[in-house]
Amino acid sequence: MIDPYYLQQLAIGLSLGMTYALMAIGFTLIFGVLNVVNFAHGEIYTLGAFAGLVLITASAPPVAAVVFAALAIGALAGFSLERLAFKPFRRFTDEASLKSRAMRESTLLSSLAVSIVVREALEIVFGSEMRSVPFEYLINTPVRVGPVILVTGDFIIFGVSAAMLIGLQYLLTRTRIGLGIRAVSNNPLGAKYVGIDTDRTIIMTFVVGSMMGAAAGILVGLYYGAIFPAMGFVPGIKAFVAMVMGGLSSIPGAVICALILGVSESMATTFVSSGWSDMVAYGFLILTLIFFPNGLFGAGRERV
Amino acid sequence: MNASNTRQGWLVPALIGLLVFAVLPAGLAAFDRGYFYQVANVAMIFVLLSASMHLVTGVAGLLHLGHAAFYGVGAYTAALLATKAGLGFTWTLPLSGLVAALVAFLVALPTMRLVSIYFAVATLAIGQMLYLVMLNWVEFTKGPNGIIVSKGLELFGFSLSGRLATYYTVAAVVMLCVVAISRLSHSYYGNALRSIREDDQCADAMGVRTVRLKMEAFTLSAFFAGVAGSLWAHMTGYISPGDFKFSESILILAMVVVGGLGSLPGAVIGALLLILLPEGLRGMGDFRNIMVGMVMFLSILFLPKGLLGEVSALRLVRQQLGAAWRRTDNGIGIGWR
Repeated sequence: MIDPYYLQQLAIGLSLGMTYALMAIGFTLIFGVLNVVNFAHGEIYTLGAFAGLVLITASAPPVAAVVFAALAIGALAGFSLERLAFKPFRRFTDEASLKSRAMRESTLLSSLAVSIVVREALEIVFGSEMRSVPFEYLINTPVRVGPVILVTGDFIIFGVSAAMLIGLQYLLTRTRIGLGIRAVSNNPLGAKYVGIDTDRTIIMTFVVGSMMGAAAGILVGLYYGAIFPAMGFVPGIKAFVAMVMGGLSSIPGAVICALILGVSESMATTFVSSGWSDMVAYGFLILTLIFFPNGLFGAGRERV
Repeated sequence: MNASNTRQGWLVPALIGLLVFAVLPAGLAAFDRGYFYQVANVAMIFVLLSASMHLVTGVAGLLHLGHAAFYGVGAYTAALLATKAGLGFTWTLPLSGLVAALVAFLVALPTMRLVSIYFAVATLAIGQMLYLVMLNWVEFTKGPNGIIVSKGLELFGFSLSGRLATYYTVAAVVMLCVVAISRLSHSYYGNALRSIREDDQCADAMGVRTVRLKMEAFTLSAFFAGVAGSLWAHMTGYISPGDFKFSESILILAMVVVGGLGSLPGAVIGALLLILLPEGLRGMGDFRNIMVGMVMFLSILFLPKGLLGEVSALRLVRQQLGAAWRRTDNGIGIGWR
């Protein structure tokens, strides 16, 4: 019989991993298509959370409306992010510049710059300290399952991430937009030659990915009850780690790795103080990069 | 070939020396406000940080997102040596550079084979790991409380802790390091690093030892960052992990990007711009960090080559900073001096 303490830690770890997974899904979607890291994804997450918070404090709408507001803001933010930080660097579409390192790194830097501006702007508007969510919106009513105690938020987050995964699989494999996204992801130039509007496809990818990021932000905000401008940074890194571990283009792989990451972190807090638990993610990242250059679930891609 | 055919610029170095060691201190002494000295010293230290980042990110083309952590390693080495072993600045200055370089070397061993974005993310992770150590190893680093460094600047027993003496020490160390970085990046060695940045496979095929050179550039740049850290620790007298977090790495990166990747004068200009501009705009208060982000974004968008692009910077350095090329008899310039 396993000690209930470890079962409880396992449950906490799984729900933590689930919050990372929520974010990793959108992140991986954008990376898989453009092959650039979107450093501003963490800020989209924060924007989603703040959009929900503003709506909650302005009027007292039902939770579903809050999530829809976050989704709308996410879509808008994804669209503007793509226009601002990524579109200007796709001026040249020949093969050499598509593969050029300078090109990829300039979008990396521009998304980083946009993320700084957004975070600082949020700090000016809302202040840098934590804002607490009104009590009645929190999704942490305890539920006892056997020997462990879960909260309603765990089920909601699990449901939402499962829905996102299934929805995304449907979108990617069954719809025209999804086929376009996969074509562009596979070979942007080839996709262009067969008549796919790559520009529109990339925007769609950003919109879908950012909607997921924003939904993750508001759900996690309601789950922990704290929303603050720098909240996107750490989950952003965790999502990135999960993505790299999962093999970059594999969304289910990223989700599984996010769960592994969450469980390892919560188990680590058993042995060391919680300040050190972030070390687990960074350690995993370095180890994966060195020993599993293709990720745990991914197909090969040049990176060493 | 005779001496007259070798163009040796002396005017620009002389002017820079005059500016740094005579005009600026004279101006500072005329106003004699602690605040101005502080700004001048901080600007100097960031010039060094930006120049060291230039070596690894600009010249060798390795996107480094954890530079501030090595700066922090240097600062913590200096602070701990000063408080626990009672060593003075004379010893902590080289030692903190060496410790930072050692840490960078150990870090580089496994990560140096990663390319582009994977390397960038690995450095981000390593920077964050070092930051977590500074923050959480409370028994050793005093954690978030930081360390008070009571020893000021001194060299071989001479106290240099007066305002003007501090400025001169910081300026002398920074200028020395910048000259060293300039010699490294404006030479055949620098050209080898540039070839790795442009196409590492091609460079490898032509006999450039890419992995080894990248490791050297990474380690050297960490050395200079460590030196900057020791200057910072002794100058301000107080360090805490907050000085070395991710956003500082980004600030240093922004300096190099704004100035122009691969251009040392650009890196210096970028550092001065991003330190002095927010100080000048102090009235704007909270908007300073937004300014940093905006300046970075706009310069990537509208000045992709930076304020002083690499090509013009190299021409400037070749003609004016004593790194001129020799002319053969038929008047063609070759090589670096």
